[in-house]
Amino acid sequence: MSVPSAHSPSLAHGVSGHDDHGIAKYIYVFIALCVLTGMSFFTYSRFWPIPNEHVKWAFMMAVSCTKAMLVILFFMHIKYEANWKYVLTIPAGMMSIFLMLMLVPDVGMRGRWASEERQKHMAVPLNQDEAVEAGKAPRDANSTKHE
Amino acid sequence: MMDAPATTVAHDHDAGHGHIKLEYQPGLPLTNAKLFMWLFLSTEIMFFAALIGVYIVIRFGAPAWPRPHDVHLVEEIGAFNTFVLICSSVSIVLAFEAAKANKAANAKMWMAITLVLGCVFLGIKGYEYNAKFSHGIFPVGPANSGIDPLLKGSLTVHSRIYERSDLYYGSALRNQIEQKVTRINKRLKPAPTADDKPAEATDTAAKPAATIKTDTAADDPKKPKEEKKDDYDIVDTLPESVLQEALNDFTVVQHQWADRSPPSTIQERLKDNDLTSGKLAEVADLVSAPREPGETAEREDLNEKYPWMKLPLLIPGGNMWASTYFLLTGFHAVHVIVGLIVFGLMMRMTLDARKAGFIENIGLYWHFVDLVWIFLFPLLYLF
Repeated sequence: MSVPSAHSPSLAHGVSGHDDHGIAKYIYVFIALCVLTGMSFFTYSRFWPIPNEHVKWAFMMAVSCTKAMLVILFFMHIKYEANWKYVLTIPAGMMSIFLMLMLVPDVGMRGRWASEERQKHMAVPLNQDEAVEAGKAPRDANSTKHE
Repeated sequence: MMDAPATTVAHDHDAGHGHIKLEYQPGLPLTNAKLFMWLFLSTEIMFFAALIGVYIVIRFGAPAWPRPHDVHLVEEIGAFNTFVLICSSVSIVLAFEAAKANKAANAKMWMAITLVLGCVFLGIKGYEYNAKFSHGIFPVGPANSGIDPLLKGSLTVHSRIYERSDLYYGSALRNQIEQKVTRINKRLKPAPTADDKPAEATDTAAKPAATIKTDTAADDPKKPKEEKKDDYDIVDTLPESVLQEALNDFTVVQHQWADRSPPSTIQERLKDNDLTSGKLAEVADLVSAPREPGETAEREDLNEKYPWMKLPLLIPGGNMWASTYFLLTGFHAVHVIVGLIVFGLMMRMTLDARKAGFIENIGLYWHFVDLVWIFLFPLLYLF
């Protein structure tokens, strides 16, 4: 094996040799990205059949993740890179997932509970009965103080 | 990496034992520049993952969050910006392919297209920011809103977002309406004694500004100039028919307020200023009608009808929305600007095969910027 030059074009863009797919591949990815953007926009429109917001959000995030995968795999050439890609992407991916997991308690506590202090300063005062029903306030008024 | 230690990779058996041929092999089969671009992007992933994570915590934990229409967000503009960024991602990847094939002119053309598309993105973002600013939406609360602003200064003067229909909002609304109605009255019915040329009052804008000058700022020579500038732009340039219509509408509002029996105790006063009951709620609904959940259509309220009145806005959750919106899109825009600066510098180079690695690295960065927007667009515009 000879020493590759730092300036050699073969190393400059990786040693994968994926050039045979040509420009058509990028055009397909571009069309797919446009269609996917249209899909998340369709979710927002009034023609979207499922009124549940959580379904909408999940769908939009799924679409976004698909778009992100397309960009990473094809535009950023990860699909065609050698195995070094795992050295960088797996630790970064794990850290991002840990970060999201660490936020789960915050999402849960802030989303489902509102302390008395917070209720007092809320932009829209919560109706106590509705709040209990929606899970945003505890049934027992005293328990709010311990939060 | 190129400077990895030597490794024994091959034994030359034909030459006999004891002769080990040393060969150099990179630790990772990529250039230092590309490796560090990927390491940099890893840190960027953490940075934006943290920002987006915080946004999700705040957004879904908030008791109230404005709909996009409440804060003058136009989803179509956001979708168009997404399209622009996707196009720019394609163009930079085509610049890279052209450079690899040693077609420097083609590479430069695609690079120029990327630069233009990036500028279009920033231009649209600037237009959107301007729409927020002109509606009084800033990432700080108004000076007298009861929200202690972290940034005290000129922004609090321009900010008009009130979170609740309370005493602060009520007094700000009342003051602003009174001030503007007085102004309109002066324009429509100029006081004959205030100035020496009453005949010109109706057809020139400078006239009413001059009348105020005599009232308030006889001592300070700087004051009248400021007031003249402010009022000149807002009320005095509008056609009289519009002013008359506004006057009629706001007289109704003022009457509605005046009908209220004066509350005797502080408790009554507080209750009266609650969003859910009392006269203020009715007035607030006239002026800045909060939209129902799921309602996306525009609703004609006085704030929409007379934007030049610059009335306080009632947007529950609006301040937190503005803070997160400007933070997320601002950091993204800074990344776009950095990319554009590099594109600008590259326009002076010959983008042949020797520069392919450079183009690939800036391309990776640009795709990452696109990637962040892919998540920001649904989170900010469609959620």
